Amino acid sequence: MEGLSENKLVWRNKWGVDILKLEIGRIYIKDIQLGNETTVKNGILTVDKEGLITKLKEDERIKDVKIDVARPGEKVRIIPVKDVIEPRVKVSGGVNGFPGVTAKQAQCGDGVTHVLYGAAVVTVGDIVGFQEGVIDMWGEGARWTPFSKTFNLTVDINVVEGLTPHVHEETVRVAGLRAAEFVGTAGKDIKPDEVLAYEMGSIFEESAKYPNLPKVIYAEMMITQGLLHDTYIYGVNAQNILPALLHVNEELDGAVVSGNCVAACDKITTYQHQNNSVINDLYAQHGKEINFLGCIMVPEHTTLGGKLRASEYTLKLAKMLGADAVVISEEGYGNPDSDLLMICKKCEKAGIKTVLITDECAGRDGMSQPLADTAQEAVAVVSGGNVSHVVTLPPADKVIGNPEAIAVLAGGWKGALLEDGTLMCELNAVIGSTSEIGFHNVTCRLY
Amino acid sequence: MKKLIITNNPAVKEKFKNVFFIDGSPQDILTKVRDLVHQGHGLISHPLSASLRMMFSPYRTVVLSTKKEQIDFFSAEIIEDSIIKYKNHMNYRKIDNVHSEDYQVIDILLLEAALNEDTGSW
Amino acid sequence: MSEKFKVLYYVNQFFGQVGGEDKAGMAPLFCPEKVGPAAGFEGLLKGAGEVVGTVICGDNYFNENKERSLEFILNVIKEQAPQVVVAGPAFNAGRYGMACAELAKAVVDELKIPVVTGMYVENPGVDICKEKAIVIRTSDSAGGMRKALPTMAAIALKLGKGIELGSPEEEGYIPRGMRKTLFVEKRGSQRAVEMLIARLKGEPFQTEMPMPVFDQVNPAPAIKELGKATIALCTSGGIVPKGNPDGIQSASAQKWGKYDVSTREALSAPDFYTTHGGYDPVYANEIPDRVAPLDILKEFEKEGLIGKVYQWFYTTTGTGTAVSKAKEFGTQIGAELKAAEVDGVILTST
Repeated sequence: MEGLSENKLVWRNKWGVDILKLEIGRIYIKDIQLGNETTVKNGILTVDKEGLITKLKEDERIKDVKIDVARPGEKVRIIPVKDVIEPRVKVSGGVNGFPGVTAKQAQCGDGVTHVLYGAAVVTVGDIVGFQEGVIDMWGEGARWTPFSKTFNLTVDINVVEGLTPHVHEETVRVAGLRAAEFVGTAGKDIKPDEVLAYEMGSIFEESAKYPNLPKVIYAEMMITQGLLHDTYIYGVNAQNILPALLHVNEELDGAVVSGNCVAACDKITTYQHQNNSVINDLYAQHGKEINFLGCIMVPEHTTLGGKLRASEYTLKLAKMLGADAVVISEEGYGNPDSDLLMICKKCEKAGIKTVLITDECAGRDGMSQPLADTAQEAVAVVSGGNVSHVVTLPPADKVIGNPEAIAVLAGGWKGALLEDGTLMCELNAVIGSTSEIGFHNVTCRLY
Repeated sequence: MKKLIITNNPAVKEKFKNVFFIDGSPQDILTKVRDLVHQGHGLISHPLSASLRMMFSPYRTVVLSTKKEQIDFFSAEIIEDSIIKYKNHMNYRKIDNVHSEDYQVIDILLLEAALNEDTGSW
Repeated sequence: MSEKFKVLYYVNQFFGQVGGEDKAGMAPLFCPEKVGPAAGFEGLLKGAGEVVGTVICGDNYFNENKERSLEFILNVIKEQAPQVVVAGPAFNAGRYGMACAELAKAVVDELKIPVVTGMYVENPGVDICKEKAIVIRTSDSAGGMRKALPTMAAIALKLGKGIELGSPEEEGYIPRGMRKTLFVEKRGSQRAVEMLIARLKGEPFQTEMPMPVFDQVNPAPAIKELGKATIALCTSGGIVPKGNPDGIQSASAQKWGKYDVSTREALSAPDFYTTHGGYDPVYANEIPDRVAPLDILKEFEKEGLIGKVYQWFYTTTGTGTAVSKAKEFGTQIGAELKAAEVDGVILTST
């Protein structure tokens, strides 16, 4: 326990609290190649293609797997994207994989984790016909998605016939996670290029250390409404939870997994959970401007009763922790807007300052009123952009996935698919374009 | 508590009791829900879905409580806002009828999730 | 690109140096010279554009003969074929603002020629045209002319050359209400954390999604004994006695009127009609009580449901009336009613 002051040890003894200490070692990946072994050499990630297919096919529900690589700048389009996952490996502490989903239960957020930084596993496969979610690796489309900058290993999953939609979704979700785990092992014995340390004591300890800094909570809303609209924490379907308090390290270390595949532009992919930008940016200010207390994972329910319960419970947790302020991020669009504003109103009324992150639908011309249910309490809002903003995507040389899904992207409006294959679609079809955890740098301004 | 399910999804009509089936558009569903809220029914499920893609769905199912003496103003506010938001979207878009079967399935699954969630009764 | 772009200028009778309120009824005319603010405007275009003439129109004439005025002015514009039309600035003058706004809207919609104008933010013309034209933010009186013209000229210069405008803050115009999607340097979470820290420190910060602000009015306590209460009737629907004795404007009202109705059973035609220019008057003129229901109130009085209908009926025109004017009217009327110990008011709008 080097690096701990005596004072800190006193606190630990007094409260008997253990510190979660996470070290993330980034191994910079400069290319992905398919081959016969899974290794990282000089920043080149080689993936044992047949080995990976065999591994994934251990799941009898999987009929076929197609593996491919999409690199930044290539005229490649990936569609329909289900999830994006960062390949990682646990070097010490905890267990490898995603506890509760692909691995046995263990504490996330402790120990050493190696990351193949710059690589991503992208799962492709439609569970329902109307699925969208595009990643363009080049040109105009690339600007709008953060996943055009990663080297993407695409895993296209075909399942056996006769699966129920639930089982189908689970199969594809778990296959993506297992693929990331498989690939991640290549980084186990590699010396990282960069090491990030995440160390946070108990709330009492940190508050004693920084008595004059404002206490800040992050309330992360998650879509939790049923098939294709789910999120899992340690494998628990968050549909059935009360808002849960997480240590700030846990989500960064694989505790949260996405099962949401309909809100392409503003869903939080597993990759974005693993690299949650709000947590990272709050962490950067911890001990400087703020005292970052923790994350409240807030389920977004479909029922009004559920929404009232979750918003009140979130407020109560924030109060119990003595929070002065809260950053609230949304996932999705439509009924979650009600949750966002409920939490905002309740916190502001209780004297807890809020900053919200959301996106907006201002129509194709940007002239519509973005939020119908407005709240005067929402004085500090960050916008991830207009989901209806139209982008023009030229035809790709190569399509990974299902080219037919491109017609779905067009979103049922005339003239969206031009004769030369140029596609006009709304941002809402582009993965991660209007991220509501502020993962991307798109916004809207009043003009 | 008895619930009333307003839907234009034939699969919901088949499977559930207490269904008020409307042979119409999602917009018709929202309008009917508003009328019923004005008559004293409360919203149990939110009238909108959680993602833009589901706004293209030809089906919409909303769960209401039984009629009360007092109008639930919270429900009234939410349904009015939802109608505005829905119209705002569908000004530009067309309903996706190509995948209507898939939408039917997802609609029913989301309804079941909502019904499971709402365990409160008296 | 040595050729200069052409600008056509629109002003009212006052800024067109024809006269004051007495000339407000003048029909539009085209003058091939640069009149009033148009005179200095060309110099501000830095040699890139020229003002090819000035259209001058009386404010009352325009508002009372909108279609005829627009037809004339649009024809002039078609003949002159300018690349940019400039109107005003109208500051907080309601009728002038409405004229500039209606003209701007028509020019953009029908001729697809960009328009720049200038108004005080509360001018009722702003909401009419800000989505279509560029409305620069001015002070509330003509004292702001010297400041307004260079801002308008800078925008005209860009419009004339087809250069994309910057943000409202940079260029000095009132936001059109368009949500423009763009890339910024910092990712959203970073901006959120910075906003949060600014809030916590009490420093200024700017939300990226301003919520509309509504003027909240708390309802007055309920009248306990309606049967003894005196109730007044007040409308912004423009119902006036025949001949409109006080000359209440049909739009952008500058005044309100009050009329004794103590001996009347109803506001019946033809003794009353509407002077309101913002809605189809046919049904209001048939039965003015449809807009201000004196008939029903008198019935209630007879039945004893209410104590008494107040002697005076208050009226004005709501359309295009500046918020500041409306507040002024409300305060004045409210004070009178209060002094007369009126217990309640029925307010009707159209």
